[in-house]
Amino acid sequence: MGQLILGQLLNGAIIGTLYGILALGVTLTFGITGIVNFALGAFMMLGAYVAWYLADGIGMPYIFAVLGAVLVTAIGGFIADQALFRFTRNNLVNGLLVSIGLIAIMEGGALLVWTSTPKDMHYVLPGVLHIFGIVVPKMKLAVFALLLAVILATYAALTRTWIGRAAYAYAQNPEAARLMGVNTDRLQTGVVVYSTALAGFGGALYASLYSLEPTMGSLYILKAIEAAILAGIGSVLGSLFGGAILGVTEGTGSIFLPSAFRDAYGLIFLVAILLFKPAGLFAGKK
Amino acid sequence: MRPASKFLFASAAIVALPLVAHSDFALTILIFSFLLGMLAVSFNLIFGFTGQLSMFHAAAFGISAYATHLSMKYWALTFWEGMLFAAALVTIISIVVGAICFRFKLKEFYFAVVTLAFSEMARLIVLNWNSVTNGSLGINLQDKPTLWIPWEGVTKVDGTLTWYYLSSVGLGLTILVCWRIVHSWMGRCFAAIRLNDELGDALGINVFRYKLAAFATGNFIAAVTGSLYSFYLGFIEPGFLSIDQSLAIVAMVLLGGRSMVAAPVVGAFVLTALPHVIHFSAEVRAIVYGSILILTILLMPQGIVGTLASRFRGQRNAA
Repeated sequence: MGQLILGQLLNGAIIGTLYGILALGVTLTFGITGIVNFALGAFMMLGAYVAWYLADGIGMPYIFAVLGAVLVTAIGGFIADQALFRFTRNNLVNGLLVSIGLIAIMEGGALLVWTSTPKDMHYVLPGVLHIFGIVVPKMKLAVFALLLAVILATYAALTRTWIGRAAYAYAQNPEAARLMGVNTDRLQTGVVVYSTALAGFGGALYASLYSLEPTMGSLYILKAIEAAILAGIGSVLGSLFGGAILGVTEGTGSIFLPSAFRDAYGLIFLVAILLFKPAGLFAGKK
Repeated sequence: MRPASKFLFASAAIVALPLVAHSDFALTILIFSFLLGMLAVSFNLIFGFTGQLSMFHAAAFGISAYATHLSMKYWALTFWEGMLFAAALVTIISIVVGAICFRFKLKEFYFAVVTLAFSEMARLIVLNWNSVTNGSLGINLQDKPTLWIPWEGVTKVDGTLTWYYLSSVGLGLTILVCWRIVHSWMGRCFAAIRLNDELGDALGINVFRYKLAAFATGNFIAAVTGSLYSFYLGFIEPGFLSIDQSLAIVAMVLLGGRSMVAAPVVGAFVLTALPHVIHFSAEVRAIVYGSILILTILLMPQGIVGTLASRFRGQRNAA
């Protein structure tokens, strides 16, 4: 029993960092452009399929496949920003609906190109490790470490670099940031592109562990939004913790309750946090 | 033209249409458009007129579809009693959900997300309560509602023509009710809330009460639609409560136009008819649907009816 719980904790933490990296994109996009990009889930799906295609279809080494997936999603994000999101800045409802239209287009496109048959990537890093008596596939640990590293690096970049401080400044007071010489248009485009690249990176790593389906993104973006709100929109490290809390709850919950309830935990968290602590668990630092 | 004469003119056209067009195919599309039009018009009461992006509409629609069938099955109610029961149930649920959201002053995105959460919980219950709802397989509905029709007595509502008239009566009543509400003092309170609810509050409008009134009324009509729609289709499934269904309603309203009571019907008609007129595969349909949504928002924020109306008005002013 103890091992089962420990194993589920670890599984939950890995899934949780996947939620976290999408939640980070949600938080950043919302802070800088004032919209919630639901299409990040679709970008994650795109990244996963591109990585799968590059690794298994063409036979590139997995690392280059991941880089390729990040590149493709970043370009996709740039096009989406210039063609669509540029016109919905700070208009929440329109941004929401445009991103939903974009999901329909991307999922429809993925169904046309890759069909609905689930795709599985070859084992990138076979083998397992034994930690405290539980068996952990090496690849899961690698994915966990990579996601964690990227989220922490993003946090470091936001707090240590000029651009990061500019982004914070913009989130707090757009007018003042513009007067201080922040190129706000470029900053907004940059954040949209960066968040889609994050989603693509998460998707590319996801592809090495789980089966791919064109509709996989919608579940993840819902969880990511739940995680972002749970943590408090605007909190960078919070999105990691929010994702981890959600993932771990789902993992351990499925030991005690039927797995049908899996998707309900996040919803219950969401309603509870918005009613009792609407600013989120880790509110404070923008 | 005055609104009343417009309404009578449209009603006359709808009544007369089957006498001219004898196509079951066209009438079927119109029945679906009318039923979905009821859904879109009632949603627009919450979204377009009161400014609250509710994601609960599909849940109200789907809960009612299940509640109607289950109450008929377990308590041997007739269709109309079942429909009343379902509508009452949905109204009570939406008052609870709405009271929670509005008491805690959830707005915009947060309101959308919390209503979405409640709606997803309802879907998960329907999906997993296999012994009662038959899970993801859904339920085939064998019954049809009965109706007293002059010269024929009590008959089953079966066949396209009867359903056509039933659904047009439903749509007509929905538009009348919503029109009356929007053009009353209550509608002005809704508009005040949409434009600036803090200011409305300062002016003495009970924001909580009117938001709740709009939410409950809209969901009540959605519940009635759910009963009719499911028994016309003869099938219910958890997909009725899905996010996609909610979004389809939003798309109908945006496409038709959100500033006029009857405008969403046009959106419902276009989105219903389009896939039948031009044959698409499911994938291409999703792409077309997404493109329509995006293009409408970016290029025609007033919707088809709104854009046409303002163009028409502009020409008349120029002349």
